[in-house]
Amino acid sequence: MNKPLVGLVAGAVLGLIDGATAWFTPAVRSEMEGILMGSCVKGMLVGIICGSIARKVRSTAVGLAAGAGFGLLFAYLVALMPEPDGTHYYLQIMVPGFVLGGLIGFLTQRVGVAPAKA
Amino acid sequence: MGGAHGPFPTTRHSLIRSAAGSGALAREALDSIMAVYWKPAYKHVRIQWRRSNEEAKDLVQGFFTALIEQQILAGYDPFKARFRTYLKGCLDHFVMKQDERASRLKRGGATTLCDFEAAERELAGAPSVEDIFLREWQRQMFALGLEDLRELCQSRAKTVHYAIFAQYDMAEGDRPSYAELGAQHGIPATSVTNYLAWARRELRRLVLLRLSSVTSGDPECQAELRVLFGK
Amino acid sequence: MSFLPDRALDHLRNVTESPDFSATRYQVEEEIGRGGMGVVYRAWDAQLERRVALKVMDAGYVINQEAKLLAQLEHPGLAPVYDAGTLPDGRVYYAMRLIQGRRLDEFLRQEPRLPARLRLFEKICEAVAFAHNRGVIHCDLKPQNIMVGEFGEVFVVDWGVARAIDGAALPVAGTPQYMAPEQSSPGGHTLDARTDIFALGCILRDLMTGYSTTSPPRPLAAIARKASAPDPADRFGDVQQLAADVGRFLDGLPVIAYRDTLPERLARFWRRNQVLLLLLGTYLAVKLFLYFLAPAIRWKP
Repeated sequence: MNKPLVGLVAGAVLGLIDGATAWFTPAVRSEMEGILMGSCVKGMLVGIICGSIARKVRSTAVGLAAGAGFGLLFAYLVALMPEPDGTHYYLQIMVPGFVLGGLIGFLTQRVGVAPAKA
Repeated sequence: MGGAHGPFPTTRHSLIRSAAGSGALAREALDSIMAVYWKPAYKHVRIQWRRSNEEAKDLVQGFFTALIEQQILAGYDPFKARFRTYLKGCLDHFVMKQDERASRLKRGGATTLCDFEAAERELAGAPSVEDIFLREWQRQMFALGLEDLRELCQSRAKTVHYAIFAQYDMAEGDRPSYAELGAQHGIPATSVTNYLAWARRELRRLVLLRLSSVTSGDPECQAELRVLFGK
Repeated sequence: MSFLPDRALDHLRNVTESPDFSATRYQVEEEIGRGGMGVVYRAWDAQLERRVALKVMDAGYVINQEAKLLAQLEHPGLAPVYDAGTLPDGRVYYAMRLIQGRRLDEFLRQEPRLPARLRLFEKICEAVAFAHNRGVIHCDLKPQNIMVGEFGEVFVVDWGVARAIDGAALPVAGTPQYMAPEQSSPGGHTLDARTDIFALGCILRDLMTGYSTTSPPRPLAAIARKASAPDPADRFGDVQQLAADVGRFLDGLPVIAYRDTLPERLARFWRRNQVLLLLLGTYLAVKLFLYFLAPAIRWKP
């Protein structure tokens, strides 16, 4: 499995899991479908980007940093969208997004086959 | 290289295996053993057991007689020890038994023996008794080899070879030069090199032949060879 | 028979032992070692103008099929045989590559790091495995017969007692400390690759000692124990298995020779997956933290 594909799969799975934890926040339970979809897509995007980086750069530190960075960015973009009552859940979305992004970046460095160097 | 190796140059290992038996072959084997070991045995008894020269002679002669009469060598197992080690052990045992027999006849109390000689040897860093036995064995092997070489040279009309070898390789002081030897014997100096090489080769062969007659097989012979020539 | 003084005796021992290479292209310079079944000299090859090692075998050895096979073994870890011949006194000699380096026992005194020692051990196994694949076993493996070159390359030397796999044992061949039981027991036992594996296990045991004050890791000790088991049936089947187990140990993986306890397995899992476990732990901690504090942390314009 190549690295972008690893990123895609890991991002999708972890994104879904992350989105599912929103069920523990009763206020947003009604939006679960949207949260799950958004979280999954967010994860997949982070995964593809990190996987593409991992094809070129073989460094766990770089993978972690890239994943955390992009995870934070996309989580911020999602958190920008307010709830129906106008509430923003910046912390609840961005912090887990940051950590999960780092996890996705780490996995793309460790798993999958990179192309042979010329 | 190891593994299956060829026969030792003209081996006589069967001789030592015959020593425990009877008949002409056993006699020949025992003669061979006595020729190599009587002197090391004598010196060992003198030094290790601190006997006078007369006592040591009697003991060594008694030991070799016992070898024949009591078939002591029947107990020799080449897989357990080298023959040299076994023989020395038998000698020590024999001397000990003689001492026990003598002390049963003696009456009177024990006296303290002050072993100043042993103490002095320790202080001076003298070689161990084991080393002395080994050294005498080496000496005797080469002494016999030299005798064999001398007889060989006489029988093959190579007395000049032996003379040059004796003058050079057995010189006690400064060795003469090849040119001097050549001039003395009326041969070119380059021939002196060849004569010496031949004599040394033959001496080695003869010493190895003697060694093979007092070892049980090629492995023991190889091991003893390393001790004989080793540094 | 006149008395032979010590000086004369030593001289005679020396001149009868010294090999006569005058009829060959080699000029002996000095003795550099005594090994299994022979003496090694450093010599100058006047024809090719290079230094070589000359191994002069003890009397009684002949150039045989096994020797020819060794000459055909080409491996970076085996000193190649350039030439072979017979001296006028009947002794066989081999001209080999002169290896510049240190013996393994000397090297270990200066290299305290266990991973470096174990990587060296893997290279030793590689060379031995190569010979085994060609049907030759060494029978005298020990630290003194392994040379480490200046760049860390490994050479297994002194094949003086080597023989074909399934060759019959000869009594007293090898070095007692590293000799497999089947080598030293009298008559009739066939030898195979596991004979060398025993010696390699003893060498591994040597590598494990002296590098630190703590006792060696249990999995590694178990590997050495398995390799040097008295019964050949209890040892590794071949050298590659032994090397692979050492490699697994170096990679932090479970080894065949040792069954981890549960705490050891968990500890290894933790060592191999520290970053992953830390990330997962952080994620869970963040989630728990936010769950309990979430009602208090919201932003409303």
